Amino acid sequence: MALTTISSSTGAVRGSVERALRGARVDVRGRLFEAALLACLLLSMLVLGVLLHTVVTDGMPVYTERGWEFLDGALSSSASRAGISQGIVGSFWIAAGVVVLAVPVGVGAAIYLEEYAPRNRLTAFIELNVRNLAGVPSVVYGLLGLAIFVEALGGFSGQSDVDRRTLAAAAATLAVLVLPIVVITTAEAIRAVPRSLREGAYGVGATRWEVVRTQVLPYAAPGILTGCLLSIARAVGEAAPLIVVGAVTGFLSRGAGLSVSNVVDPGHLTERFVALPTIVSHWAKLPEEEFKVANSSAAILAMLAFVLLVNTLAIVLRNRVERKRST
Amino acid sequence: MQSTRQRRVAWLSFALACGLVAAACGGDDDGDAGAETTEVDGGEGGGSINISGSSTVEPISSLAAEAFLAENEGVEIAVDGPGTGDGFELFCNGETEISDASRPISEEEVARCEENGVEYVELQIAYDGMAVMTSVDNDQVECLNFADLYALVGPESEGFTNWSDAQAIATELGSDTRLPDAELVLAGPGTESGTYDSFVEIALEGYAEERGQEATTRTDYASSADDNVIVATVESSPTSLGWVGFAYAEEAGDTVRTIPIAAEPGGECVEPTPETISDGSYPLSRPLFIYVNTAKAQENAALADFVDFYLENLTELVEEGGYVTLPDDQVEATREAWASR
Repeated sequence: MALTTISSSTGAVRGSVERALRGARVDVRGRLFEAALLACLLLSMLVLGVLLHTVVTDGMPVYTERGWEFLDGALSSSASRAGISQGIVGSFWIAAGVVVLAVPVGVGAAIYLEEYAPRNRLTAFIELNVRNLAGVPSVVYGLLGLAIFVEALGGFSGQSDVDRRTLAAAAATLAVLVLPIVVITTAEAIRAVPRSLREGAYGVGATRWEVVRTQVLPYAAPGILTGCLLSIARAVGEAAPLIVVGAVTGFLSRGAGLSVSNVVDPGHLTERFVALPTIVSHWAKLPEEEFKVANSSAAILAMLAFVLLVNTLAIVLRNRVERKRST
Repeated sequence: MQSTRQRRVAWLSFALACGLVAAACGGDDDGDAGAETTEVDGGEGGGSINISGSSTVEPISSLAAEAFLAENEGVEIAVDGPGTGDGFELFCNGETEISDASRPISEEEVARCEENGVEYVELQIAYDGMAVMTSVDNDQVECLNFADLYALVGPESEGFTNWSDAQAIATELGSDTRLPDAELVLAGPGTESGTYDSFVEIALEGYAEERGQEATTRTDYASSADDNVIVATVESSPTSLGWVGFAYAEEAGDTVRTIPIAAEPGGECVEPTPETISDGSYPLSRPLFIYVNTAKAQENAALADFVDFYLENLTELVEEGGYVTLPDDQVEATREAWASR
C-alpha cells in the first residue's frame, strides 16, 4: 500500500527526494549559518584567550618572584610587600555566608513556590519579581546592605562607628544579592522533575512532604547544587557592592596570613574587611606600575583559581549525586 | 531496591542541610565570642583606629599604620581612601578616628563637625608639589604662568607641536609671555595619577571653566606612570616641557631645569624649592593633612600612640610615600599642634 503511494507520486516530488538523498545540492545558507556560529564561538574564545594571556603574563612574575609571600602577605602601600591573604579570608567568608544564608533560604523558597504554593496571580507576580530582582544591578544591593546590615543592624558587631562595616555585613549583602539566582535555578530544577515521579508517589499514598523529600529533591539535587555553586562564584567575583558596604583599601591590621586557623576564624566576621575583587579594583587604580599591572594581575589569577575551584567542586559534586541516583 | 537508594540520597542531602545549618549557628556563636574577646582587648588600651579620607594621603597613612603595627601588636588599624570629602563626612559623624585630607577642611564640614560635637586637631604632614620642567639647554623660557600652561597643555592645545602654536590662546588669556618658536615635546603623568589630577585641578581647571572646556589636559603627550620616565623624556629633548611630582624633579637635580611658575599673568614667578613650597608661595602645590579626633585620642591610648609615632617618623614616611616633606620648623609646628591639642 505504502509502496504504491510513493510510486504514484508526481515526478517533482521524486526529483526533490532524489536530490536530497544524493546530496548534490549544496546548502549554501546552512553552511553560511554554520560559519557565522563558528565565528561567534571563535570570537568569544579569542577575547577570553587575550584576557587570560595578559593576566598571566603580567601576573605570573609576581608568583615566580614572591610566590607564597604574596598569597600570605597583608595589604600594604609598598608594592613589594603587599599581599592578598586578607582578601582570600574575606572572599572565603563571603562564600561561606552565601552557603549558610542564601542557599537554605533560597532553596526553601523555591520548594515552597513550586510544590506548595497555589498557582494563582499572586504566585505568578512573586515569581516575576524574583526574576526581576536577579537582574537588579549589584551596586543597588550594596546600598541596601549599607542601609540595612551596616546602618540599621550595626554590621552584627555591636559597634557604632565605621567599625560597623564588617565582613558579616558584606557576606549578608552578597547572600541577598544571589538569593534570587538561587531561587530561580532551584525552581527550574524542581520544575524539571517528571510529573510521573510525583504522581507515582502520590499514587502509593505518600504525603506531600514525603514526595518532596524522597522524589523531588533527590531528582532535582544536581540542578540545585549547580545553581548554588554558580551563585557562590558570582558572589565571590562581586566588587561594587563591597565597595559600597565599605571594604578597606589601604591597610588592615587584622586577618593577615593563610594558616587554616586564621582563614576559618569566625572572629573576622565582626571586623572590617577586604575581598579579592575589591583589592583588584583598588590596585588597578594606583599609579605605580607594580601595583597597577603586576600585583593586580596576580590578584586576578588568585581570584580565577578560587572561582575555578568552586566550579570544579560544583561539577564533581553534581556528577557524584547523579551517579548515585542512576545506580 | 530503587526506593531505598533514593531514600539514602534523600537522607544524605537532609544531613548535609542540617550540617550547614549547624555550621551556620556555630559560626555565629563563635563570631560573637570573637567580638567579645576583641572588646576586652580594646578595654586594655588596644582599641581600634579607623583612618579614611583622601586617596592621595592614603599611602602615607598606610605606611604609618604598617610600621606602627610592627612595633605594637594587637592594635586594630584600617586605612582606606574614598576621597577627602567622603572622609570628612565620616569624620564629622564621629565614625573615624583620623581623616586624611588633601585640602583644608571646608566651612560646611567645620559646621558639620561642630553640629555633631566632633573636636579635632588639624595636622599638616606633607606637601604634594609639582614641578614644571624643561631641558637644561632650553634658555628661551624664563617663566610660565597658569594661562601659558593652559595654552600649552590644556584641552584646546591638542595637536600643537610648536611652543608658538599656543601663543594665541595665551595672549587671549592675558599672558604676556613670549612663547618661543621651537619644537614642543610634552611629557607628563597619565590620567590615573594623583599628580595629573592635582595639576589639572590647580593649574588648568580655572581657565577651562572660564572657556567652557572640560577640565582635562590634551591627550597627545608622552604620558607615563613612571615619573622617572617623564624626567628622562624631558632631559632628552632640548625644548621639552613636562611636569612631575616635585620629589622626582628634585632627585633629577641638574639634568633638568625647573621652570618658575606664576599663578596668573603678571604674577610673581616662583622657583619650586622646598622653601617656596613650604611657605605656599609656589603656586603648584597643595598641603596634605591628617585630622585627628581629639576626644577619641583622649579615650583611646592606641590612637594617641599612633599619632605620636606618625609624627615622630613623619619625614621617612612622607619620603617613602613619594611626597614633599615638610621643612623642619613645620614638622616642629605640627608636633606642637598635636602636643597642645
